[in-house]
Amino acid sequence: MENDKTETVKIPYFPGCTLKTTAKNFEQSALRSMEKLGVEMVELPKWNCCGTVSSLASDDLMKHLAPVRDFIRVEEMNNTGLVDNEYRMLTLCSMCFNTLKQTNIRVTSSPEDLQSVNQFMYLEKDYEGKVDVTHLFELLDSMGFDTIAERVVRSLDGLKIAPYYGCLLLRPKSVGIDNPENPSIIERFISSLGGSPVMNWEAKSRCCGSYHTVDNKAIVIKSVKGIIENAREFGAETIITSCPLCAFNLDNRQEDIMKEFPDFDPMPVFYFTQLLGLALGLGDEVLGLDDNCIDPRPLLKRSGLYE
Amino acid sequence: MYPEYMNASLKKVEETREKRYALAKERGKEVFTPQSEEEREAVLANYHPDYKDDARREIRIGPNKGERITGRVADVLESWPRDPSSRFDLSRIDYETDILIIGAGSAGLSAALEASARGLNVLIATKLRLGDANSMMAQGGIQAADQKDDSPVLHYMDVIGGGHFDNKPDLVEALVNDAPKSIKWLEELGVMFDKELDGSMSVKAGGGTSRNRMHSARDYTGAAICKTLRDEVYNRPDTIKYIEFSPATELILDDKGQIAGAILYHLETKEYSIVKAKSVVISTGGFGRLHIRNFETTNHYGATADGLVLGYRAGANLLYMDSVQYHPTGAVFPEQVVGFLCTEKIRGLGAQPVNKDGELFVYPLEPRDVEAASIIRECENGKGVKTPSGLTGIWLDTPLIEMLNGEGTIESSLPAMVRQFSRFDIDIRKYPILIYPTLHYQNGGLEINEKAETSIPGLYVAGEASGGVHGRNRLMGNSQLDIIVFGRRAGTYAAEHVLAGVTIGRLTLEHVDRYSEKLEKLGIDKKRISPVILPDYIPDHVKAKQLTLNYFGTLT
Amino acid sequence: MSEERNMVTVYILGEHFMVPEGSTIMTALEYSGFQLKRGVGCREGFCGACATVYREKGEYKLKGGLACQTVVSDGMTIARIPFVPAEKAAYNLEELKPDVSTFVELYPSVFRCVSCNTCTKICPQDINVMDYIQDIIKGDIASAAQTSFDCIRCGLCALRCPAEIVQFNVGMLAQRLYGKYLAPKSPELETRVAEIEEGKYESEIKRLKVLPKEELVKEYYERDIKIT
Ligand SMILES: Cc1cc2nc3c(=O)[nH]c(=O)nc-3n(C[C@H](O)[C@H](O)[C@H](O)COP(=O)(O)OP(=O)(O)OC[C@H]3O[C@@H](n4cnc5c(N)ncnc54)[C@H](O)[C@@H]3O)c2cc1C
Ligand code: SF4
Ligand code: SF4
Ligand code: SF4
Ligand code: SF4
Ligand code: FES
Repeated sequence: MENDKTETVKIPYFPGCTLKTTAKNFEQSALRSMEKLGVEMVELPKWNCCGTVSSLASDDLMKHLAPVRDFIRVEEMNNTGLVDNEYRMLTLCSMCFNTLKQTNIRVTSSPEDLQSVNQFMYLEKDYEGKVDVTHLFELLDSMGFDTIAERVVRSLDGLKIAPYYGCLLLRPKSVGIDNPENPSIIERFISSLGGSPVMNWEAKSRCCGSYHTVDNKAIVIKSVKGIIENAREFGAETIITSCPLCAFNLDNRQEDIMKEFPDFDPMPVFYFTQLLGLALGLGDEVLGLDDNCIDPRPLLKRSGLYE
Repeated sequence: MYPEYMNASLKKVEETREKRYALAKERGKEVFTPQSEEEREAVLANYHPDYKDDARREIRIGPNKGERITGRVADVLESWPRDPSSRFDLSRIDYETDILIIGAGSAGLSAALEASARGLNVLIATKLRLGDANSMMAQGGIQAADQKDDSPVLHYMDVIGGGHFDNKPDLVEALVNDAPKSIKWLEELGVMFDKELDGSMSVKAGGGTSRNRMHSARDYTGAAICKTLRDEVYNRPDTIKYIEFSPATELILDDKGQIAGAILYHLETKEYSIVKAKSVVISTGGFGRLHIRNFETTNHYGATADGLVLGYRAGANLLYMDSVQYHPTGAVFPEQVVGFLCTEKIRGLGAQPVNKDGELFVYPLEPRDVEAASIIRECENGKGVKTPSGLTGIWLDTPLIEMLNGEGTIESSLPAMVRQFSRFDIDIRKYPILIYPTLHYQNGGLEINEKAETSIPGLYVAGEASGGVHGRNRLMGNSQLDIIVFGRRAGTYAAEHVLAGVTIGRLTLEHVDRYSEKLEKLGIDKKRISPVILPDYIPDHVKAKQLTLNYFGTLT
Repeated sequence: MSEERNMVTVYILGEHFMVPEGSTIMTALEYSGFQLKRGVGCREGFCGACATVYREKGEYKLKGGLACQTVVSDGMTIARIPFVPAEKAAYNLEELKPDVSTFVELYPSVFRCVSCNTCTKICPQDINVMDYIQDIIKGDIASAAQTSFDCIRCGLCALRCPAEIVQFNVGMLAQRLYGKYLAPKSPELETRVAEIEEGKYESEIKRLKVLPKEELVKEYYERDIKIT
């Protein structure tokens, strides 16, 4: 195989807790896809949940401790030879990405804050500010979507895919991976796999309701119904997303919608690495399509992408 | 680190080390001539705590009247109740329950869970907090014959031989038969036993076992079990209530001679309360804090033989209260580890006991009682080292271990010991440790049968407070087993007793009055009061100024 | 006593006492005249009853430790914490799943951890407390169980936690889930329990029970010993 010859790049990888608990199949497809693309994602030897889920009202800097600890780990990985001069810290989950990056900006742009944090964590080495928080989409972009297209073995020919950005990949602007008003990165990703991106649909960066899924299902149900219906109006057959929580909401809440609205026509939802893996020729045991709530296999069969 | 004043003595140990090492090289482990039979007899007779003339004395009162038992135990039994019965109004009941469990170590907690499983209401009364008990402290392990090449029959043999054939056969049968079942029960409650990768138990040998059958949970075996049982008790607030800091001070009977409850004393509010119960389980543990013959102990703060006093006054008889388990090598310095066990393995690896002048004075591997007596002899003859807290000990020269067996031996073979002492800046690879015999276990107790019943209807006893299971000598790992097996049996049979229908008559403390009359006749000093409840560690110069307090070996 | 004891000054709840050098906080209290009822249990570092916070002379750091295991130093200020009000979920272990969902339901506070590591810094057992809390968030119950295993429930971590997590109860739950559901089962144990229930060893034990003592003694000393 071709990628056996190309040298593998080792990049520190921060999984985040959602991928480790409720979305293990998403992680598998990412790890194996990237392997095929010559990237070894090296999990941080010890990492802390970035803290998005914490609703703790403590002093502001406190919230940044977890991310900074993780950055220190990345610097340590370089010092101990786990990776070689590689300070990019790869994330898959949009939420982790957003939280980590915001912290990084905060502490690297304010030496006083960095000092306070470092002093508080006196048992750890100081954070030197070298880390670059990188979303997997950004990495793929930097590798060139053309190169990825060359590796596709099973083109998603003609599959009409709606790119769902959600809110955390683009906002705030300082953190976003693309132009918040007019993003194109997921569209380009879809094209590189041979699929047809659904363009300019309205709900692509509308919030799915996020953590309300726990305490106020109704909000999420309403939001998700609108998003799916909008995607269908624009001709989509499926939706992809980069955030495991979005994926959960968009996918699993459709069951609740069906109970309330018997006429509702469900639509399969993919995590982006599942489609990437599919196009790169990975099998079901890696993609874990079985774990998706709305079974995407009938759609894939119809499109000749699944036996 | 050792205080400066010990440096002179430490230096002497160091100076003689080379010679003693040469001796060990030349003569193997027999660096000192083992004692002849006469020498042994002499040292035991003169220095072993159990052999001292005044170690045992005749008890003059109660069911075991006329028997010779450990003196301090006799003292505690021949003591006045905390308060005369006339001060209690038994018609004013504070708590009513199906089953009252006195003492919340693993025996009591197991009993509570079994009774609760049968739908009965349980009240646990304990002296300190749930699990502040000897049960929490066991490190070594728990025995059960569950391996392929082992069997309950072999286990039976080991137990009864270890107990010098004095054990009650029915109890031993129950112990060994229930053992595998008990391990299973504990595992289903979530105890994490040490295991091999395939799930089979990691088992080790113990003193007196003919097979490897010591199950462990790191070196926190007792804690792992006791913590789990306590957590499960917390999970059942509907059926199990508990009152902490409330030791029982007397049992209550009814006019038909059945058990009917107990009096509890709150340590802080100093209130007494009356508990009426259809059945009572005594699981109050052992007696280490009586400091028999002024020995330091491995036991927890509340181990003061209270259950024995309560049961005895109510008419239950005792078994084997003439034997005490001492361990020859307990730590005496630093103060923080006084009384802690220093395992026999240290001597097995070549460490020698030496006196303050650096002289070897005993063969390091004499039988436990002889070794202990010889250490005591050395100290009593002024050859011991005084510690800042006023104790005396002799050196156990650990650095020899690495000279004899190579560097790294101590860390790999005695990791827990290394950690324990390094906490206090003592590196046992470089410096010897100070030791003295320590009081460890109550071999005997209130007599029970295989249903954990006593001679008093409705009164059950389980765990270290009971007598008969281990004869006159308990083997390591069988006590942790005992408390689970008989704790569960006590809970189960007490529940059956209640479910069969019990009617409690008029509550009475007449048994206490009768007992007191006899105390009066014997002319027992009124200042002597039991149960002891807590030991008293206030220095005399402070006590002398505490004019309104009185201790008398017990709380006020 | 032949040797003179050096004395040091300690401040118990701010009040000044002279105690012998080398005392533990616990024995220092007793030496000063307090007969302990609370905050004392095993006296050997196993029960966690004796949590104490203290500050050493000239130090800004508030330290925590076990009163029975911590030596006093001159000028030390001491406050014992005999009780920690802690939330304990009541549950039926039989109905639980050994995964993160159980903690979401029973101890949702776990997910508020801000990774400040204050818990680890104060733990007298040197447990990586933050790590086991993080293990739970990540769904690694086995690792949480192993890491928290040596916890003696002194409560100091929970008192210091800015997120009000009760680490020791969380760890206990992880341990029980692991012990019951995740640890591999021992095949020999099941077999032996069944054998005993079928009465396989009954007759042999009955025989030993009634054997005359001399014969029992003889059999005991002749029994074959196979230990490793
Ligand atoms: C340091 C140490 C190491 C040991 N190692 C091992 C080992 O490796 N293997 C082994 O098998 N055995 C070992 N043992 C022995 C074993 O742990 C104990 O014998 C056993 O745990 C006793 O359990 P129990 O429930 O009967 O009593 P305990 O666990 O002592 O519980 C008794 C409870 O009763 C309470 N109580 C006392 N008086 C009253 C009262 N008047 N009213 C109310 N409550 C009262 C106490 O406070 C305590 O909570 C060890 C013992 C010690 C001390
Ligand atoms: S964003 Fe969510 S999933 Fe990612 S680490 Fe943080 S809390 Fe966990
Ligand atoms: S889950 Fe909802 S809130 Fe979170 S990124 Fe996705 S869209 Fe935004
Ligand atoms: S984990 Fe918490 S409760 Fe347990 S020993 Fe450490 S500090 Fe104490
Ligand atoms: S103290 Fe609380 S918030 Fe801080 S790391 Fe520990 S568990 Fe997390
Ligand atoms: S008294 Fe038990 S840990 Fe200190």
